[in-house]
Amino acid sequence: MQKKISIKPYIEIKDVTHRYGTITVLDQISCTIEKGSLTAILGPNGSGKTTLVRAIMGLLTPDKGTITINGKNPKEMRTNIGYVPQQLQFDRTLPITVKEFLEVYTCTNTHHQHKDSTHILAEVGLTEHIHQKIGTLSGGQFQRALIARALLHKKDILILDEPSAAIDAEGEETLYQMIEKLNREHGITCILISHDITMVHRFADSVLCLNKEKICQGTPSDTITPDVLKKLYGSEMGMYHHHH
Amino acid sequence: MLELFSYPFMQRALLSGILISLILGWLGTFIVSRKMSFIGDGIAHASLGGIALAVLVGIAPLPTALIFGILLACILFTIEQKTNIGTDSAIGIIFTSSLALGIMLISLHQGYQPELISYLFGNILAISTHDLVITLVISTIALIALSIWNNKLIFITFDKDGAYLSGISPARYDLALYILTALSIILSVKLVGVILVSALLITPSATAKLIAPSFAAFQKIAITLACMTTCIGLLMSYYLDLPSGAAIILTGSFIFTLTLLGKKMKMIYDKQS
Repeated sequence: MQKKISIKPYIEIKDVTHRYGTITVLDQISCTIEKGSLTAILGPNGSGKTTLVRAIMGLLTPDKGTITINGKNPKEMRTNIGYVPQQLQFDRTLPITVKEFLEVYTCTNTHHQHKDSTHILAEVGLTEHIHQKIGTLSGGQFQRALIARALLHKKDILILDEPSAAIDAEGEETLYQMIEKLNREHGITCILISHDITMVHRFADSVLCLNKEKICQGTPSDTITPDVLKKLYGSEMGMYHHHH
Repeated sequence: MLELFSYPFMQRALLSGILISLILGWLGTFIVSRKMSFIGDGIAHASLGGIALAVLVGIAPLPTALIFGILLACILFTIEQKTNIGTDSAIGIIFTSSLALGIMLISLHQGYQPELISYLFGNILAISTHDLVITLVISTIALIALSIWNNKLIFITFDKDGAYLSGISPARYDLALYILTALSIILSVKLVGVILVSALLITPSATAKLIAPSFAAFQKIAITLACMTTCIGLLMSYYLDLPSGAAIILTGSFIFTLTLLGKKMKMIYDKQS
């Protein structure tokens, strides 16, 4: 299916700077993200990727600069954003089932119409785990439960922070296909933080390379070059060459 | 046995105990899930500051302690939101300061203070009709609030960012949770005592967590266990002439130990078969 990407910037980031104490994590970042695109953010650990997406979601106000989504403040637009964090900090021994984990979301969210949770669980392949406790799921299953929860409402933007970190190679392929399907078939603007250059090359249509400052932004073929990778990850990764 | 229910002091103690247990059992599921068990101890000990102040000035201790508790919950919330001190340290600093204030005020009061002793260790004879009315009103408000906010509080407990993105304001509900916890802990101080009250908040939930198959079951079991513990403890207190606080808490600890042993034995049996 041919994807439609709007030319008008949907998310506009202008001169965003943010510090934690004396450490600068984002240094005058300016970029745009188009509606309906699948944008990957690449960068080493500590390069400000998570800080930037937290600012996009309005979970953090940058020290300087502005972020707008469809011309509005991120805080106003927050209910249009689905978020799949890298991990959730909670006690894994707590007795909450997959079904409850999803239902607590539909019960509290009054801004959107809810989809059927059993249908969504089938879509992410978790139907047989519906009554299982969240803490007993594997890393990949838990990640899919988080995606299922983000999909319960029709969201315009889906942000995924290293979604394949706890998943094996096979699960990773399925996960990226699922993200691509959401992006192409449902028109959801996806922002994906990833270290997996091969997957980013295959699935993303825009790449933002970040190392506290913006290194570059463009299509995967234009941006994922040995020079850029060297700037991002150092000399070893600079030798990387991508095979189509 | 039924004659004991005909005594007004026992009727008040049981009714007050059940109302308090309903809220503490419910709130305990959030406090245990958030690993904030220290808050119960902190608020209970801090309430001594308010109680001592009221006894010294000669005004009603319970309403004074309740206002004091709300104030401390608000201070804790503000410090947590505006600084990087951390919840545990904030609880430690604020509540021990208030406890120290209480001890200082008590030392200014000359002679034996039976009322203060009953606040320390709990006394079923200490619940007046006036206390029962206050407990009834606050418990009803707390139960209604918890019924309405239950799903939001669960959501925030598991995923604060996710809750924020679904349009909830987590900070508002955190403050409400702190105030409700402060009020319910202080309401139970007369029955269980400052020193032991936090166990009634924590032990039923810790026991329920061992056996519950879901969060809904976790909450139902915790509330039921809290009520059971209080009723059995009060009956023991009456028949064996024991301090009510100690009897209630030891009952809770006994149920917890039995549940833990039962769970371990089941695990061994399941492995063998």
